[in-house]
Amino acid sequence: MDVSEKDELRNGDTTANYDDESANNNNPPPDWRVSGSNQVSAPNDSYPPENQMMDSFGQTLWYDPTNVQAVGYGGFNGVNNASSSSSSFRGNNNMDRSLEMGWNLLPPKGNGMFLPNASSFLPPPSMAQFPADSGFIERAARFSLFSGGSFSDMMNHHHQQQQQQQPLGNPTESIGLFLPSNVGVAHNDASAAMKESNVVRSSEQGNKQNVPGSGNVSEDTQSSGGGGGNGQKGGEASSKGFDSKKRKRNRQSSEAGQSHRSQQSEEEADNNGDKKRNDEQSPKSQGNKTNSGKQTSDPKDGYIHVRARRGQATNSHSLAERVRREKISERMKFLQDLVPGCNKVTGKAVMLDEIINYVQSLQRQVEFLSMKLATVNPQMDFNLEGLLAKDALQLRAGTSSATPFPQNMPMVYPPLPHGFMQQTLSSMGRNISSPLSPINGGYKRQEANGWEGDLQNVIQINYGAGDVPPDSQAAAAAATAASLPSSNMKVEP
Amino acid sequence: MASADKPINTDVPEKDVFALHFLQSLSNLRRQNAFNSPDDTTNNRVKKIKKAAYVSMARAAGGTNRLWSRALLRRAAKENNKVVIFSRRKKRVTWLRRSNRRDPVDAERLRNLLPGGGAMETSKLMEETAHYIKCLSMQVKVMQCLVDGLSAK
Repeated sequence: MDVSEKDELRNGDTTANYDDESANNNNPPPDWRVSGSNQVSAPNDSYPPENQMMDSFGQTLWYDPTNVQAVGYGGFNGVNNASSSSSSFRGNNNMDRSLEMGWNLLPPKGNGMFLPNASSFLPPPSMAQFPADSGFIERAARFSLFSGGSFSDMMNHHHQQQQQQQPLGNPTESIGLFLPSNVGVAHNDASAAMKESNVVRSSEQGNKQNVPGSGNVSEDTQSSGGGGGNGQKGGEASSKGFDSKKRKRNRQSSEAGQSHRSQQSEEEADNNGDKKRNDEQSPKSQGNKTNSGKQTSDPKDGYIHVRARRGQATNSHSLAERVRREKISERMKFLQDLVPGCNKVTGKAVMLDEIINYVQSLQRQVEFLSMKLATVNPQMDFNLEGLLAKDALQLRAGTSSATPFPQNMPMVYPPLPHGFMQQTLSSMGRNISSPLSPINGGYKRQEANGWEGDLQNVIQINYGAGDVPPDSQAAAAAATAASLPSSNMKVEP
Repeated sequence: MASADKPINTDVPEKDVFALHFLQSLSNLRRQNAFNSPDDTTNNRVKKIKKAAYVSMARAAGGTNRLWSRALLRRAAKENNKVVIFSRRKKRVTWLRRSNRRDPVDAERLRNLLPGGGAMETSKLMEETAHYIKCLSMQVKVMQCLVDGLSAK
């Protein structure tokens, strides 16, 4: 069966290809051709030349999968309109279309020879059995990945060396996309295709990833990626192996709309596993945003590896920059929760302004309150009040010991009766004199033991002064030190 | 009061810790008789109280574990001609400083606001700001309670 055939091809060839990092793109095609000969006879002839032609990388890639998936091709026919949109093997625009239709469009514009071959492909008998788009596409994608694997490896080599536009860029893309579209894509796209293949693999779990081809192909790649992920049968293992290889090589990052891809890939592989070519110092933030297309889970070292996303520069500086930016945005989000009324605000600048305003207002509040404190109690003899206030602050439940206090102040929060605290604090004018007196003694005792320095003196003085003077207001009105007790007591009826 | 983000930890102690520290510093002020002798305007007293508030907040909130508190304490100590001894937290502080040069313009105003913000990387600056905001709000609450307790007669 075609499917089984494909599997064979996949298993046999792809693994071999993938394992060797050598650019023996020629190997797979011949094998495939052989195995797939039953289905694609005519095209086979064209393959070897195609394969050897690195220029027509995309084309060869394109064909390889088709060979393997003759059936799928048929399926495509059924599924997609065999419009000539695929003509743009080289062109990015038609990538998606070619993906869908894919097989029908076999012959890329640039390569007329494929045309006849393509036509020969058309009528695989067993297309009927092939599932509709998704399944077939998946399989196709898988295949493309496989075939692309070797190519991509090669491409990666190229990419690595040249880092930029490469003539061979196209093929890699096509690999990922599994269709001519790859061919036409620029270098970056090719790398993206590589990523796509990675992504597709990653999407084996069924994630519908946005396989990054060029921007245009996004939809198609998605479907194909998803399909490829799900549909692949035998090749998964090898593809996985291939994948890791590609991952290692492929540093390309795709920027445009690859967020989901990266997210999905992140799900699969943990960040640490990624080998980052660039710099070890750009830690990968835990968020999805930082991860590049595909994360491998082969942790090599303790670094957090960041993978360049598709379409993004793989410069180490830019990667680090991106990580840094993401860190900052993450912290901005955190700050957004902190600052009241910033939920609707979006944007870094506006958010920054809000934060600054809030901090300034808080600082102003501190200043204002300190002014108030200074006027309220010029003598600064408000230790006791502070104590009481403190008690009120934290001892709502009346358990002072529970507070995490420094050891030197265990007595700071004496277990005053709850009512005492409440009254003193909530209603200063309340009269607690009677209950207070017995408490005073105890309080003072405790305080004397607990407080250090003049605090003790102050408190003792306060309590020593006796009873709660009724004029607590006097205390507030800048009472003298002698009137401290009055201000502190506040319990006077 | 205490909240923890996954990677970021901006836990802030409870209110009583702040209150304790603040009252301690105030009592220290009182012990020094800072207000009595000069008999100056309210401004001086206000300034002293404010400084005491900040110092106590820095001590209560993080001690020397936070960059902004360290900077604050160092600044306060310098004003008093004291020497502050910090246990060397991490070598990473200098590392941050080195990589900070890249984008210091970004949050300039924030850096000016935050104590010690000029030497931080932007992401670290954000983290410190979050903690600073929390501590500031706590300190404000404490002072408000104090004022209410003192003034409400």
